[in-house]
Amino acid sequence: MKRVILKATGILVLAAMLTGCGTTAATDTAATSAAAAENATSAVAAATSQAAEAASTAEAAKKSNVTITFGTHQSGLPTSGVVQDLAADFEKETGIKVDFQVTPDDQWRDLLKTKLDSGEAYDIMCVDADPLSLVSRINPEQNCVDLSDQEWVSRMDPLVLPDVTVNGKVYGVQFPGTRISACVYNKDIYQKLGLSVPKTYKDFKANCQKILDSGITPMYEGCQNGWHQVLPVFETGSYYSLLYDNLYEKLNKNEMHITDIKEMKEILEEMKECADAGYFGQDFLSQTVEGGVDAFGTGEAAMMYQSMDFIDQVEEAYPDMKGKMGIFCLPWADNQSVSVNPTNNAYFINKNSKYIDECKQFLNFLARPENLQKRLDGGGITSVCWPEIPSKERPEVQEYMKSLPQGLVMQVGVSYIDPQWMDVGKDIDAMYSGTMTPDEVFQNIEKRRNEQAELQNDPAWAK
Amino acid sequence: MNLNKRYPSYMAAGAFVLFAVLVFFPGILGIFYSFTNWNSYSSDIRFVGMKNYAKAFSNTEGYTGYIINTLLFTLFTTLLKTILGILLALLFNGTWVRGNHVHRMIIFSPQVMSYLIVGLVFKSLLNPSHGFVNVFLKWCGLGFLAQSWLSKPGLAFASVVLVDTWKGVGYIMMVVLAGLQVISTSYYEAASMDGASFWQQTRYITMPLLAPVLINVTVLNLTYGFRVFDIIYSLTHGGPGHATEVLNTAVYAEFAKGNYAMGTALSSILFVFVMSISYFLLKAMDVKEEADENA
Repeated sequence: MKRVILKATGILVLAAMLTGCGTTAATDTAATSAAAAENATSAVAAATSQAAEAASTAEAAKKSNVTITFGTHQSGLPTSGVVQDLAADFEKETGIKVDFQVTPDDQWRDLLKTKLDSGEAYDIMCVDADPLSLVSRINPEQNCVDLSDQEWVSRMDPLVLPDVTVNGKVYGVQFPGTRISACVYNKDIYQKLGLSVPKTYKDFKANCQKILDSGITPMYEGCQNGWHQVLPVFETGSYYSLLYDNLYEKLNKNEMHITDIKEMKEILEEMKECADAGYFGQDFLSQTVEGGVDAFGTGEAAMMYQSMDFIDQVEEAYPDMKGKMGIFCLPWADNQSVSVNPTNNAYFINKNSKYIDECKQFLNFLARPENLQKRLDGGGITSVCWPEIPSKERPEVQEYMKSLPQGLVMQVGVSYIDPQWMDVGKDIDAMYSGTMTPDEVFQNIEKRRNEQAELQNDPAWAK
Repeated sequence: MNLNKRYPSYMAAGAFVLFAVLVFFPGILGIFYSFTNWNSYSSDIRFVGMKNYAKAFSNTEGYTGYIINTLLFTLFTTLLKTILGILLALLFNGTWVRGNHVHRMIIFSPQVMSYLIVGLVFKSLLNPSHGFVNVFLKWCGLGFLAQSWLSKPGLAFASVVLVDTWKGVGYIMMVVLAGLQVISTSYYEAASMDGASFWQQTRYITMPLLAPVLINVTVLNLTYGFRVFDIIYSLTHGGPGHATEVLNTAVYAEFAKGNYAMGTALSSILFVFVMSISYFLLKAMDVKEEADENA
């Protein structure tokens, strides 16, 4: 009898364990940016009709002791802490606590994908959103809550909606507006050394040498975050587009290759040359992007390639610097054009969250006009992608943009660029430390594109 | 109680089923997937033969460098932890150091800290411009020794090895100490009466009797070394560039990219390494034990 019971128990245990072993089906990714843009419009229409219903959600919110997790990378939150302040206001109003879990930039993308794959992602996720990479990054249809019916969808800039839309459904909310990056320079140092704004790489190099000779670090670079060093390579996209007709389209159709853009390789060689000459300082591989504010404010560094909110950050931390900073187009490979980036990070709600309603309440709260204004005033951005809130872009920045031809940054216009951003950052670090050549870094970009295209069964690569 | 009573073999069925379902089958499944194109973008899984392995061992992909790094990391950390662990255990086993227990506790304490915390703390300590190490060296007038500890390829690797050794040596010391304390003092008393010096006693009594403990310690160090991930990920993230990249950081990166098949291929290579080394070491231990029994 005992034997029978033992055997029966064994069979039951085995059956129970096997039942628990499910298979995770991977999903196909087929959304294209064009389709997303088209479908975004229909999502706006749907949202408008339900606006009134959703608007009452926040008011109807009951005081509760729920805590929602908000996963983000360092750069996903402004250093001023304005989002955390808004979360504190939200907690006062609803009793819902937002627990911010901040991950270093260089680890965020890998970590989030791993968490999504293992079903352990945060309630709200702050993700770099662009139509070309969104699906491969978080696969919203599989992992995120459809927010198309939220009141705020109709108020967000329609140009931004494709960044957070997949197959006609809006999955995220974006706050920061269009941004550009340029070389911010210290006017006092330039004036003292008798320098003028460089228009060619040769002039830029000459300026750097004079600044270095005066005992100041010419250019601040922060490689520790893993992404900043990549900016010159892909944010010179407007220049490449001027040199090659229909470049982005041809790259996406696999009719041209990254290795055809010889100016990109030239830029990598110039970056290496500047690093070896000491123009980035001694410890730039260990420096962080955030450290640029102090280096600039204290006059330790004369230039930094950054987005325009950097000027606000320096002025806030070092009021003496007010009016002492100018911008110019960094002439890598003699570039004289402005690359515009309409995309930014956006917030998405995890489909498997236990607190979907609470998360929606938080996003609705952030999207209130008064909170959008607070977000803009809180620093870290110069505009929000909400037409009802006027931009705070400086007149000199507006003038700068008008003075040069404009184009789109490469990571937004070309497929399989943004997903390999951090890998390219590592390759550039290897180039700086002498274990890779500029040509190897250059070739690797093309190789990774091909690998990703093959993985995703891209029809353009199947030819 | 009859200790020699043999239970029927089906009594092991539960343990066997658990082992099979939780350990054996997933391992085999992982190896199976390494011969496919399994990825996060398609549910269509196709057999691709040795493609992933060919890629792993090709010179163009950089994985061979990661394999070499893994082997070097394992070799250096094993040697350093074992040698330092033995020396520290010998030092704190005797009565010539006051406050033995306090010293042991202090040296063991890093073991209880998480690798992530240790990584972050040392990242800050080793910062070239405002980290404690360089600031201290400059303060002592040894500024010429201040380095970019985590930003120069060779130095970064050495730093990672040393930090890992700092964290793990206390554990090895404790294991060796436990081994030392079961050696009967009568051997040492007899040797002293025969005029044996401390080093002779160590060489001819301590080390032979410690051999099984040392083999265990080596197996632990080797298997840990091959599987290393946390300390490298938190300290250098495999950088600068790819200078401290090891097999497991590459596995993680492949999974994060959605290329699961490549990740499982690299894991399988690691699995073979760990299994082979452990097998030979444990076999060596069996041979030694048999020889001791026969002697």
